[in-house]
Amino acid sequence: MKKIGFLVNPIAGMGGAVGLKGTDGDAFVKAVNLGARPIASERAKRALQDLHLRLRDDDLLMLTCSDRMGEDVLKETGLLYNIVYDIHGKTSAADTREACKRFLASDVDLVLFCGGDGTARDVYSVIRTDIPMLGIPAGVKMYSGVFAIDPVAVCDLLEDLFSHQKDSDLERPRIKIRDAEVIDIDENAYRDGTLKMEVFGYAKTPYKPTLVQGRKFVFYGEDEEVSKKAIGRFASEFMRDGSLYILGAGTTTKVVADALNLKKTLLGVDVIKDGRLIKSDTNENDLLNILKDEKSKKIIVSPIGAQGFIFGRGNQQISSKVIRKVGIENVIVIATPYKLEQTPHLFVDTGDADLDRLFSGCMSVVCGYRMAQRKEVLGARKVRSLK
Amino acid sequence: MKTKIILDEEEIPKEWYNIQADLHTPLDPVINPATMKPATPDDLKAIFPMELIKQEMSTERWIPIPEEVRDIYRLWRPTPLYRAHRLEEYLKTPAKIYYKWEGVSPPGSHKPNTAVPQAYYNMKEGIERISTETGAGQWGSALAFGTRLFDLDCTVYMVRASYEQKPYRKSIMQAWGAECLSSPTDRTNSGRAVLEKDPDTTGSLGISISEAVEDAATHDNTNYALGSVLNHVCMHQTVVGLEAEKQFELADDYPDVIFGCVGGGSNFSGACFPFAGDKLRGEKPDVRIVSCEPMACPTLTKGLYAYDFGDQAGLTPLMKMFTLGHDFVPAPIHAGGLRYHADAPILCKLTHDGVMDAVAYHQNEVFDAAITFSKTEGIIVAPEAAHCIKATIDEALRCKKEGKEETIFFNNSGHGNFDLAAYDAYFDGKLIDYEYPAELVKQSLAGLSKI
Repeated sequence: MKKIGFLVNPIAGMGGAVGLKGTDGDAFVKAVNLGARPIASERAKRALQDLHLRLRDDDLLMLTCSDRMGEDVLKETGLLYNIVYDIHGKTSAADTREACKRFLASDVDLVLFCGGDGTARDVYSVIRTDIPMLGIPAGVKMYSGVFAIDPVAVCDLLEDLFSHQKDSDLERPRIKIRDAEVIDIDENAYRDGTLKMEVFGYAKTPYKPTLVQGRKFVFYGEDEEVSKKAIGRFASEFMRDGSLYILGAGTTTKVVADALNLKKTLLGVDVIKDGRLIKSDTNENDLLNILKDEKSKKIIVSPIGAQGFIFGRGNQQISSKVIRKVGIENVIVIATPYKLEQTPHLFVDTGDADLDRLFSGCMSVVCGYRMAQRKEVLGARKVRSLK
Repeated sequence: MKTKIILDEEEIPKEWYNIQADLHTPLDPVINPATMKPATPDDLKAIFPMELIKQEMSTERWIPIPEEVRDIYRLWRPTPLYRAHRLEEYLKTPAKIYYKWEGVSPPGSHKPNTAVPQAYYNMKEGIERISTETGAGQWGSALAFGTRLFDLDCTVYMVRASYEQKPYRKSIMQAWGAECLSSPTDRTNSGRAVLEKDPDTTGSLGISISEAVEDAATHDNTNYALGSVLNHVCMHQTVVGLEAEKQFELADDYPDVIFGCVGGGSNFSGACFPFAGDKLRGEKPDVRIVSCEPMACPTLTKGLYAYDFGDQAGLTPLMKMFTLGHDFVPAPIHAGGLRYHADAPILCKLTHDGVMDAVAYHQNEVFDAAITFSKTEGIIVAPEAAHCIKATIDEALRCKKEGKEETIFFNNSGHGNFDLAAYDAYFDGKLIDYEYPAELVKQSLAGLSKI
């Protein structure tokens, strides 16, 4: 029997319509006073309403929380469920975390949550990478890579994940698991117009890699892991040139270190030269010191999830000073085709407007073995106007 | 002013033009990798008929076209030379734009110009089956058509990315009685080796060539046929340029610049070699001849001029070409026919010697040009041919800016009626501008075959 841990953050998304950019802390009370209405349970219902029809022949048990944190939604879906956590009164992040602990104890195969970045962060803080997580998008902030495109897509993903079918032509599972950033931004700063983003970690999440369909058009997509390995192999070859390499944070850059048999900090910025790790988890000063005596130096970074930031989010250690010292012509950006597909533009927000301007235009992004894509880079000012 | 300049059936060329006769220095020899000595006819006879091997190595200027082949050419040849009046008007250019339209053949491209004679010579030498590879599907369709006319069996290894993008190409091959397989397959050692390493590979022309060559080499009744690259293939295609020369005479004009798309190089070689011959002999020293290739696979603009294998597994002899390395798997762009790691040795030599030039384009700008063309001239072109339309439009706009009345000629090598998925992707904004990270590759290039 397959088991899904399911929880709803009942207040998620309430701040959006009333312009509060989130419901963390006091904002919730404000949101209610401004007339905000709950939206999360409706979105969760939409995601799950057909699931029992789609998985008719499969044993599926939902483990959930009482009342509006899950039970109320499941009651109307025809799905089999057990309540493993009871809520009392007002819900909070602590309830999400406690529910996830119960899910883990019950050996669920996946945690399905309905909420935004804050909920994703709470779920991730408990389950880490032990099991995959998938978000039904309902929050105001959804910068993390763990969300389905819309509630209906959740049903498709779950059906493919649990129905054991294989693509008859391709003989491989229709669903893969990939790493996705769990990101949260500082709501108070965001309300003041500043986008301060922090990467908390890399969760496992299901995605459909093999056939990306778009209006009668079948494009042959690369598998995420295969692409990463291809990027790693290519990088390990061109990194034999004697230059010093600053390697940014993330799972894609980690694969580069893997290809060189080096241990990389996932969230940190490391320095590599001639196939050796010079220093790991550096800060800005470390980098400036190391760069002092180096002739040939390069930076390898990967954009953050669908947001597309290559500098200014998640790897602030590589500051504008560091970038200027290395030279923008020595910045190498790497990303898998799947990630690039989800990332319409690349963004740079180093805090140094002149430097950001130098980046704007088109950039070559390495996306496979001896393969690149042209992507447009926008400065941070444009980022804000796009929101 | 005529729109179509048409020749009579009797004016189908009676001989192919062999540019090897006019090269200032001979072509570098093809090398047998086992002996590292120049390949001999014996090295090739396991997979090719002797008449084609002779043509491959010949330096005679003119090679007669068998009457049986000319008879079949009559089904669609001579092809029209168009004057693109509507495109000129749209661009408001003083330039005169001409194009040869090869999409009128039954398979819809220039490819049967060589598929028919190749099938013919194999039939003459008692071969029962021909194996081959196909990228975009144009060559596979053409050989399926050619072999059918001479009652031969045909096995086509189709690059997986194209096989999935263009299912109807497979149907066409089946309609002509050929067997079409998604390559890499598990039928050959080279296919199995690739699948084992990467089951999700998109495939490449190089991989498919390995499979087809292996199939031919391991079956006595089977020969191999290549749709591009080789000297004899480019020579068969010169019917295009020879007709065009006559048609330009009728129009009382001569090109200042010639464009063609280049994957392996056969359509453009065929269109431009008779003109390049004029240039080599000093009769038309100023004609510019420019190959158009994709940024995702920029062989002539970013490759290395060196000896390399023609296929992925290293089963072919070594040829001196511009190459991105035989193990390079190009990005899955829609111009599948241009996804080849190298180019025809003669075309490469002419480029290296400065007789020809090359440019490279991104996918989206190429489709912009294709749409402009379809809206003015009406023809939905193959993504491959769209590359030289992009070059033509750029050139015509330059002429407009500089007020020059130049004559532009390009080879419109095939229609895009089976490439509508690519057009859909373009309309949906889903075309990716792939490119080749040349500097980084240069940094890492140590793996090329060293001679």
